[in-house]
Amino acid sequence: MNNNAFLHFLTLLLFKQKGKHIGAVLISVIIIFLLSSVLFISSSLQSMLLGTLESQSDFTVSRVQAGKAINTPSAWMDKVLEINGISQVAPRIYGRYFFAPREESFLLVGVDLFDEQSSKELRSLVKGLDLKSFLSTDSMLVGEGVKTFLSEHYYKEYFSFKTPQGSFKKVKIHQALPSGTNLIANDMIIMPIELAREIFGLGEDEVTDITFNVPNDAEWDNIIGKLHLLFYDVRVVEKREIVKAYENLYNYKGGLFLILYLVAMVTFMLILYQRYSMVYSTERKEIGILRAVGWSIKDILKLKFYETAVVVLVSFVLGVILAYLYVFIWDAPLLSQIFLGGANLPNHVSFVPVLEFGLLGSIFLFYAIPFLAAVLIPAWKIAVTPPKEAML
Amino acid sequence: MISVENVSKIFNEGTPQAFEALKSIDLELAKGETMILMGVSGSGKSTLLSLIAALDKPSSGKIVVEGELISKLPDLHASAYRAKSIGFIFQHFNLLEALSVEENVIAPLINSGLDIKTIKEMAAESMQNAAISHKASQQVKELSGGEKQRCAIARALVHEPKLIICDEPTANLDRENSLKFIEILQSLHQRGKTIIVATHDPLFEALTFVDKVVHMEDGNIVGADSISAHN
Repeated sequence: MNNNAFLHFLTLLLFKQKGKHIGAVLISVIIIFLLSSVLFISSSLQSMLLGTLESQSDFTVSRVQAGKAINTPSAWMDKVLEINGISQVAPRIYGRYFFAPREESFLLVGVDLFDEQSSKELRSLVKGLDLKSFLSTDSMLVGEGVKTFLSEHYYKEYFSFKTPQGSFKKVKIHQALPSGTNLIANDMIIMPIELAREIFGLGEDEVTDITFNVPNDAEWDNIIGKLHLLFYDVRVVEKREIVKAYENLYNYKGGLFLILYLVAMVTFMLILYQRYSMVYSTERKEIGILRAVGWSIKDILKLKFYETAVVVLVSFVLGVILAYLYVFIWDAPLLSQIFLGGANLPNHVSFVPVLEFGLLGSIFLFYAIPFLAAVLIPAWKIAVTPPKEAML
Repeated sequence: MISVENVSKIFNEGTPQAFEALKSIDLELAKGETMILMGVSGSGKSTLLSLIAALDKPSSGKIVVEGELISKLPDLHASAYRAKSIGFIFQHFNLLEALSVEENVIAPLINSGLDIKTIKEMAAESMQNAAISHKASQQVKELSGGEKQRCAIARALVHEPKLIICDEPTANLDRENSLKFIEILQSLHQRGKTIIVATHDPLFEALTFVDKVVHMEDGNIVGADSISAHN
């Protein structure tokens, strides 16, 4: 079978009847663009999150009394260290600092920078950090959101924290944390643990929590059990729980969009179906004419299949390209705020390109199959009616 | 060439709206003959043409064209039969308005297996025969009624069909274009084509090249004349 005549005729119909297809392509591009954008943002956020959390400790333990978090004795560290399989135990002071004049809060993290592991982690997070200069004065590292916020309130070099005693503690803004960490560190302040202790008013032998690693994943559950045997009032938080919590948050937001997408898709398919099954439509007459001049039902369905496949492909490629540009080049204005809008301070995240071909394939099938069905089923229904009737 | 035996067609069969459009029709037409089906609207002419062209199926009876029983053909074979043996010229032309004359003319050959170059050559010849070559690249919607009719003729002839069926071909034409159409019909007759024309146009009543005139009324054949014999 020579197919070049068929392709010639298909091209003719596509170009000469482009007005008929432009509407369908435009709506399809918008739908694909929206869905792809949401999925791109969601995948990128999850990938960035995993990357950022990778350097975090596997476990965080703290003391609770009647379910309420209280300060943790520093002495717990020695007991934790005695458990086999645990490494890199470090104290941490962690809490929200409320800035009353503007009713904003920052996440304040105090780390023991004289601990080799902690200082190494910080240096890997902030490339080129001069730790000596950082520790020589009361200094802090701030997330981009904090830096912008403080700068807007004229705290360009220093910020004065109010201590529980009512005095002020002046701390130098050493530098901002890299923008790549904005997802979780936008409202974060990192400072030496002694400074954080003073600001939160903790005793010398107290911290808010203790962090440590367990290199052997298989031992994680055992370690949790041992911790509960060791301390009756301990709360253990695993890194994987934090990852899950973030993933659930973004999946939930993505899910809402998916519902909107489904509603839009169903509506569009119904419109398409109705258009193609209209009794006096031009499609109906066209099919009738072709049938009358010798085209079989199979030939008609072949023509309609390829015609629709071209529309579907063009829409899909355009929609995905636009979504890629929108998310990864222009950082998804508007839509990013829906995903990041729950953040404490205005957050700007540059999305790292993540392309999951399985995901793209799913979008394509999820869109192409209903689209093809919405066109081919009415086309088939017309094709099986007597041509004379279809031409009326 | 064509044998219609005891053919009936009932629309909406088995429902209260059932309507018998053709009632036990018998008809014979030899190869190369031209037959005119005369009758008022609703007499069953167009229905009979649709059955002969395998555009529809009879409710009973059989239609044999060149030894092939076409009244019971499945879709694939009926389509192949139309593509190979039938050239249909409709009252309302039934052209693809968005396409040009040439693009309309090539439509019946698209699934023939021929390459596009050959198809275009055949279309050029057919347009020449129908005197519409000069409008080959013009869009159909920009043509006059007579030009549209010639485009429909070119499309009907492009695959060199043995049987040409015309349903009220001059109903939408003025007298001048109707006469031109009859001239083309005569030349086709001279080339040995078998032709059936359904019409109520008086211009067709006394044509010298016509072999048979069949009168239809209310789904029945009420009279048949052999013009050649009369002459």
